[in-house]
Amino acid sequence: MRSTGFRTLLRREILRYVRRPRNTFLPPVITNLLYFTVFGVVLGARIDLGDVGLQQTGLSPSEAYILFILPGLVVLGMISNAFENASFSIFHGRWNEYIHEVLTSPLSHTEMVLAYVTASALRGVVVGLIIWAIGWLFAPVPLVNPFYLLAFTVVIPVLFAGFGLIGGLWAEDFDYLTVMNQFIIRPLVFFGAVFYPLEALDGIALTVSYFNPMVYMVNGVRYGVVPGAVDVAPDVSLAVLTGLTVAVVAIDVALVRRGYGLVE
Amino acid sequence: MTAPAIDVRELRKSYGDVQALDGLSLTVESGEFFGLLGPNGAGKTTFINSLVGLVHADGGTAEVFGFDVEADYREARDRIGLAPQEYNVDRFFPIHEVLEHKAGYHGVPHDVAEERAADALKTVGIWDKRDTRFDWLSGGMKRRFVLARALVSDPDLLILDEPTAGVDVELRRDLWELITDLNDDGTTILLTTHYIEEAERLCDRVAIMNEGNKVEVATPQDLMERGTDTVEVGLESAQTTAPTLDVDGVHGVTVEGDTLLVTAAGGSTLAPAVMRDLESQGYTVTSLDVRRASLEEVFVDLTRAERTQSVETEVAQ
Repeated sequence: MRSTGFRTLLRREILRYVRRPRNTFLPPVITNLLYFTVFGVVLGARIDLGDVGLQQTGLSPSEAYILFILPGLVVLGMISNAFENASFSIFHGRWNEYIHEVLTSPLSHTEMVLAYVTASALRGVVVGLIIWAIGWLFAPVPLVNPFYLLAFTVVIPVLFAGFGLIGGLWAEDFDYLTVMNQFIIRPLVFFGAVFYPLEALDGIALTVSYFNPMVYMVNGVRYGVVPGAVDVAPDVSLAVLTGLTVAVVAIDVALVRRGYGLVE
Repeated sequence: MTAPAIDVRELRKSYGDVQALDGLSLTVESGEFFGLLGPNGAGKTTFINSLVGLVHADGGTAEVFGFDVEADYREARDRIGLAPQEYNVDRFFPIHEVLEHKAGYHGVPHDVAEERAADALKTVGIWDKRDTRFDWLSGGMKRRFVLARALVSDPDLLILDEPTAGVDVELRRDLWELITDLNDDGTTILLTTHYIEEAERLCDRVAIMNEGNKVEVATPQDLMERGTDTVEVGLESAQTTAPTLDVDGVHGVTVEGDTLLVTAAGGSTLAPAVMRDLESQGYTVTSLDVRRASLEEVFVDLTRAERTQSVETEVAQ
């Protein structure tokens, strides 16, 4: 009986964004068409990536660059949408107090968290698939390591949906959400070896990059589609991300149980 | 023996320096129609929110049908339907879906939830607005809707926080009829209201709250009997000064022309003694009427007395 409550909240959360595709799915379509056109088709042929494992694919230079940036753009899309969905849904519910409909119901704290996180992660995955599909229009995308591709594209959105939930509980105004997405997440992704290989960096820039968690996510997804070398061993990245995801979801449950941001 | 619908002991909650609940203890029996009266800031909404999980009490215990609202929160919340004072409705979905979701959160399967939502909307008379979003409903319809949402989970305890605030007379009477029927069918009702007439008319018992605590709990009838009645005594001729009455229970006597206004607790009981005393003093009584204290007057008396006592205590300290 109890799982009916979880399924209902999950369904409600999914319907909220599925019914508003112009706000949820159209923007990443437009943005990524622009990315692939400008960075791939226009600039890609002029960029020398060095030895990143794309030489033996037989792709043209612009297709090779599109294939190189595709994983990073997928990660950016997944992260942004999973985070934004969870943080917005929680914060908007708090702001207008309709989250009380959930809080006064007999859902367990774990069910509440899992429903919000699953729905938000699913939005991230759907946006990731959309970006893959757009990339496919510009260059053939091989499946080199499907296991890693699948694993990373599941773990990353779940992790950021979990972070988004914390953000939604913490925020006291809509400005907080903008700050988190625009000034923290987006810069980390852009400096996370999306548009350039780590080898292009040296000295302090390279060292700092190794402290950027996005580097490991982008590399993990890239390992799924780009044959040959990657910057960081994907097994370690996957293990660390999985552990981090479990920890973040556990923190989500603890915060909701405590009523942080929800209960007076 | 059935557990009380609500049983709170020494419930405390403060917001900074403000003590919203100050050791409140209260029991509402299963099946009762219970009213909660009190001025703004008395702690009524904080008390309600502590039952449904929107307020975490600093101390004390609260149980709903024997389930602790913290330890057994799922069981407790499953039995409560809440129509809050402030609107807190999901604006993303048409109202019939909002109800389906609420029922679903309570474990009602989707097909049954659809039927429940339809029934609830028909019960409150806004079925034809089922595809409308909450924001587009009129004020009265919004009130009806929050009641429908409280009903859709088929609660054993219906909590109505000022359900008739700002609604027209017709809707108020509709809501009264509806919640009276629900109570007749066995649903326990906890009603907070500023309309004393509403409590007087509907409730089996009322609690008067002030400054986070209970001042009094009794039936509306008992409370009114404890209030100060006014005995209007008509005299043969106009008087310039009020006579002194030697009758226990008389609070005061004032003169209005040829009428004496005698204020007393239990005016009906004292009226014959008042008349005898006046006649023994040489007055000729031509008429006698007892005006009973209204619940509103009792409420004002009790909350005023409580406030005065608090001030005196503070001064003494």
